[in-house]
Amino acid sequence: MSGLGAFWGLYKREVVKIYRRAFALVMTFMQPIIWIIFFGSSLNGMPREYLVQFFGTPNYIGFVLPGQLATSMLSTGTFSAMSIVWDRRFGFLKKILVTPAPREAVFFSKVAGAVTRGLVQVPVMLAAALAFGVALPLDPVGYLEWIAALMLLGIGFSSIYLAVAMRSSDWQHPQLVANVMNLPLMFTSTALFPRTFYPAWMRAIADVNPITFATEIGRGVVLNDPYTPTLLGYLAAFAAASMAIGLLVARRFMTAE
Amino acid sequence: MNGNAIEVLDLVKRYGNVTALAGVTFSVSRGEIFGLLGPNGAGKTTTIKILTGLTPPTSGRAYVAGFDVVRQPNEVKRRVGWVSSEVILDDDLNAWENLELQARLQGVRNWRERATELLKYFDLLQSAGRPVGGYSTGMRKKLEIATALLHSPEILFLDEPTIGLDVNARAMLWDLIRTVNREFGVTILLTTHYMEEADALCNRVAIINLGKIMALGSPAELKSSVGGEVVELEIERPVDLSALKRLPDVLDVAASDGKIRITVRKADETIPAIVKSLDFSAVKSLRVEKPTLDTVFMKLTGKRIEESHVDYRRFYAMIRRSRR
Repeated sequence: MSGLGAFWGLYKREVVKIYRRAFALVMTFMQPIIWIIFFGSSLNGMPREYLVQFFGTPNYIGFVLPGQLATSMLSTGTFSAMSIVWDRRFGFLKKILVTPAPREAVFFSKVAGAVTRGLVQVPVMLAAALAFGVALPLDPVGYLEWIAALMLLGIGFSSIYLAVAMRSSDWQHPQLVANVMNLPLMFTSTALFPRTFYPAWMRAIADVNPITFATEIGRGVVLNDPYTPTLLGYLAAFAAASMAIGLLVARRFMTAE
Repeated sequence: MNGNAIEVLDLVKRYGNVTALAGVTFSVSRGEIFGLLGPNGAGKTTTIKILTGLTPPTSGRAYVAGFDVVRQPNEVKRRVGWVSSEVILDDDLNAWENLELQARLQGVRNWRERATELLKYFDLLQSAGRPVGGYSTGMRKKLEIATALLHSPEILFLDEPTIGLDVNARAMLWDLIRTVNREFGVTILLTTHYMEEADALCNRVAIINLGKIMALGSPAELKSSVGGEVVELEIERPVDLSALKRLPDVLDVAASDGKIRITVRKADETIPAIVKSLDFSAVKSLRVEKPTLDTVFMKLTGKRIEESHVDYRRFYAMIRRSRR
């Protein structure tokens, strides 16, 4: 019972911090928007029949939008890791741990806060894509599934990054982890290009990369191209496994020092 | 277990090879203001960390509000408030939001009423809607104490409560600590390396150094343990000291190059007798030295508390030099 109240209090704090730090929020939007606008537009000079043949759409931005939204959920990981490191550095974690609030409440609040921050990007990105001429279909169920996919992806990434940063009080660590992880995860998924382009070994990685699952679900919606429903199941399994690892690490290693 | 607020038995804490606490035993009665006085690294903060359940002891026992800190940490945590040496508040949140978070972490229902009462009491109600990042140091400290009192704890831990505060803010906080103790009926354990703070606030003080308690008692008891007060006279010419030495309250008389040092039990009461017992026209000046807790610390450890402190400015200057 007290765990739920503690979770709610801590989650509320994370959400308030999102909108009180509007500048940081805008900066999180910038990266994926830059990708879809600049990178997306860079391929749009290709002959139209090539675009349709390779990407299934005459506007490459429509192809890369789901990939970038999926990739942008990696920022939830960096964010949750950052947030636990800061709480440790500024002593806030101590302040939480001298109360009877369970460690699980702290863990879940960080995950939920990061996922919320990640999802705020969705409408902004969709609006940017619309502005650049992507025709978004009206498919409410599809969008719900897409958002569910992004949520699961966010839960998975934020849990893993949180586990990695659980003992750290060095604010550089999350950024270093992000630098090492984020680009490879994007390039080895289908976020930018269809898997048919890839050599066999990269295809093998792309097929188990969770970013691919969320990308394909989104692409199914945007390009009106039906996808296998099991993708959502894979993502759920990824989220559950990451969360289990994160919780174990939190129980064992979330200490005041 | 008896009715003490805190009971600490032979507490030991080691971090790797470093012994932070080397067997500490003391107890704090309910309603008391108890001070742990000592230099940095003496083990004060480690003691608080163990008593608030933030870290387990290596060995020994500790009971807070009647509960074992190792076996019943949540029972302890529900009954204690903790104010760290550095103020820990969320600067992005306003006072209400900081209090609400604390309420939810402690499971306090109807927290708004209690929060309003505390904000009013601490004179923060007007500014409660502003993010606390814009508060002055004194306001932040007050809000942190209000936050720690929100769940009506039985015992409040104050870790170096006035470190980094200016003279006015310190005086304000001393008053506040006394009234919190009196009006809210909260037992207070505070740590400090300021002798005058321990002297002014605490009913009893434990002097702690290198993880050990060197002495424990009321400030008056501790000070009298070092052996009285000293009246120092500067004289122009030699005077006859025989009558002075016969005075009942005079413990010791030492004369050397134009000065006479008279050790007495209570200077204020003995000075008239001293004046009468010698040729006072030879006296140029009179000075009274009363022992402070620093005198006690010096007698016990051979060092002053401030000297045992790491001098950070010198330390950083040294690092800067070595970088060049």
